[in-house]
Amino acid sequence: MRVLLILSVLLGWSAVVSGAEAPSLRIGVLAFRGAEMAESEWEPTLAYLRGQLPQRHVVIVPLDLDGLTTAVKSGSLDFVITNPGHYVELEAAFGVTRIASLSGSASATTLPAMVGSAVVVRAERTDLNRLSDLRGSRLAAVSPEAFGGFRVVWRELAEIGIAPFSDTAGLQFTGFPMEAVAEAVAEGKADAGILRFCLLEQMEAEGRITPGLLRVLGGIPSHGCLSSTRLYPDWPFARLAATPEALAKQVAIALLAMPEGDGYAWTVPADYQPVHDLFRALKIGPYAYLRHPSARQLLRDYWPWLVMALLGVVWWLVHVARVEYLVRRRTAELRSAHAEARLRREEMEHGARLALLGEMASSLAHEISQPLAAIANYASGCQRRLTSHTDPEGVTEGVGLIAAQAERAAGIVKRIRAFARKRSPVPQNLDANGPLVEAVELFQTVAARHGVGVSLDLGQGLPPVLADRLRIEQVVLNLLQNAADAMSKSEPRHIAVSSSAVAEGVEIRVADTGPGLSPEARARLFEPFFTTKPDGLGLGLSLSRTMIEAQGGRLWAEDAPGGGAVFRFTLPVTTGPTEIP
Amino acid sequence: MTCGHCGSANPCTPVIHVVDDDEAMRHSLAFLLKSLGHPVECYPSAEAFLLAQPPTGPGCLVLDMRMPGMSGLDLQNALNRAGSTLGVVFISGHGDIPMVVRAMRQGAVDFLEKPFNDQRLLDLVAEALERAAGACAEAHTARLLSQRQESLTPRERDVMALVVLGKPNKVIAHELDISMKTVEAHRAHVMEKMEAGSVADLTRMLMTLQGKP
Repeated sequence: MRVLLILSVLLGWSAVVSGAEAPSLRIGVLAFRGAEMAESEWEPTLAYLRGQLPQRHVVIVPLDLDGLTTAVKSGSLDFVITNPGHYVELEAAFGVTRIASLSGSASATTLPAMVGSAVVVRAERTDLNRLSDLRGSRLAAVSPEAFGGFRVVWRELAEIGIAPFSDTAGLQFTGFPMEAVAEAVAEGKADAGILRFCLLEQMEAEGRITPGLLRVLGGIPSHGCLSSTRLYPDWPFARLAATPEALAKQVAIALLAMPEGDGYAWTVPADYQPVHDLFRALKIGPYAYLRHPSARQLLRDYWPWLVMALLGVVWWLVHVARVEYLVRRRTAELRSAHAEARLRREEMEHGARLALLGEMASSLAHEISQPLAAIANYASGCQRRLTSHTDPEGVTEGVGLIAAQAERAAGIVKRIRAFARKRSPVPQNLDANGPLVEAVELFQTVAARHGVGVSLDLGQGLPPVLADRLRIEQVVLNLLQNAADAMSKSEPRHIAVSSSAVAEGVEIRVADTGPGLSPEARARLFEPFFTTKPDGLGLGLSLSRTMIEAQGGRLWAEDAPGGGAVFRFTLPVTTGPTEIP
Repeated sequence: MTCGHCGSANPCTPVIHVVDDDEAMRHSLAFLLKSLGHPVECYPSAEAFLLAQPPTGPGCLVLDMRMPGMSGLDLQNALNRAGSTLGVVFISGHGDIPMVVRAMRQGAVDFLEKPFNDQRLLDLVAEALERAAGACAEAHTARLLSQRQESLTPRERDVMALVVLGKPNKVIAHELDISMKTVEAHRAHVMEKMEAGSVADLTRMLMTLQGKP
């Protein structure tokens, strides 16, 4: 092909040189059967034009498809004669305009007035009868850009659902001249070949191929030849956009007036719409952009799918949103339920503390009234001493005693308030003896009123425990109250509270000298609402056990060695960095 | 401040006794009552009070009704049985009415319900002390008179009995069948021994001795 191009350039150059005195008129032609063939084929037209335009040096420039396109692009030609397909491409790309079309000729064997293709196979191939039989066969063609030599058949194949590039066993392009295709089929290098409509007949007539060796697939007789495809308008004679208007007119008039000679005649330009249709159907040439489909086209072709996809996406979005919403709602519900449960438990513990204080109320009131009464007495005493101006040392002493008693009262109130306070449990590292002492002190008045002695035996050097101070105090106080209640009818009445370090952590014991536990009581001791007290709720012990277990400890009851009951509970030692040596 | 016996040689110096199990209460009561100017004795329990030397002089007992062990009422009972003349002022808690009734029946001076007015306590104690002091003084006089009476000879007693009846010496001499001179001598001895200034004085003394006003 490159050789052809160089040749043509040389030819052009030689033409320019030979006709230096006259302006040249260069006509590019598509040499689909080779330069020589082209020159001989177009010779009549050339000769005629030379005769009509003596002032011009008319030159034929035979080129292949690429060469012709390049020449048009560079503007080195004045006119172009090419196949309808190529023309449509040049028209779209470079503004080439047809001024005449071939109108056929009397000797139809050389050139029909129409363009079409003949798919040829060896005559003996009985398995190949229709175009649809080409699926899976080896197909030869001159060039992928050739119009009658490939694209016309491509369209037909596409319409019956065969893609020549993928549905055949091999698509070979022989390149120009087109006779090579016929030879490839004749030699069996290909199962089928694509020839320009009438070329086979022309070759047979010229004796270039044995007549009857090849036959045309699905041959439709037309213009004296057999065609495998529909037909398209014949080749146009076109001017380039830069060609002077006057020259174009002159050439057009000359062509239309050209007498039918050796197979060539020109008529008014044909309608190349069918060619456009082919290009559009194959989405090539000027319609290559159709290969990149537009949104509108996609919408038109696939709207049900798009709608379904859209619905799917919408459904998915709704589903995701719904799931998200549900998860959030459930999480919030769970969180609030958890918070509520904790609140309930805290309220219950608080309620139990208040109930415990309620049981101790009269004793506590007495305990508070004692310092207040003492303060009143000291105050009156001081007042009298001041009025009578006697015993000034006594006044000083009395004021000090008032302060001491006020402090004592405040201490009691503070202790009660701390115990009655509503708050969330805060486990912290603490010495278990702390809440133990606190509880026993708070209980002291009650014990005195019940005529109960309380002894406290604190273990020394206990490991720190992780627990809530108030919970421990509450449990101990509850056990003390139970012990005092249990001993109301027994003698002597004594409660021994002790703490010691054990394997599990720290153990605290509250032992009484009461009647001990009955088997029934022992079995149901920690059940909620089980009580042996006439006005008890039966929640104290069950709640105490819950609280101790919440701290990671255990609470249980045993018989005390000397009679009576002993309640014991453990608290786990703090596990944390402080413990690791 | 101590609750030690601040007594004096006067056997009729009154002493205030405080029995209360609550130390602050006991101590503050003592502080208050001391302002009356009398010695105050404190005891933490009824048992402690009884174990101490039983009080001989006049006095007043400020007693807590409710105490562990022996109650205030029990102590009052015991004192009554022992013939104590101590005036008892009870300090009771709220709702001790039945006990208060019993205490009053057993001869308590009065009772104070907690919380009580300090002035009222002081008034009650002062009153009880005054009464006790008066009784003590009376008893002291009676004891003196009877001592004086016992120092008389039988004949002097006979003479005194007739003197207080307002009989003249002549009648006495006649009734006792002794001489006028002897009667006069006896009469002089009686007046001297009984430390009486006049017959009227002597008569009052005898009436006192015989328990008449």
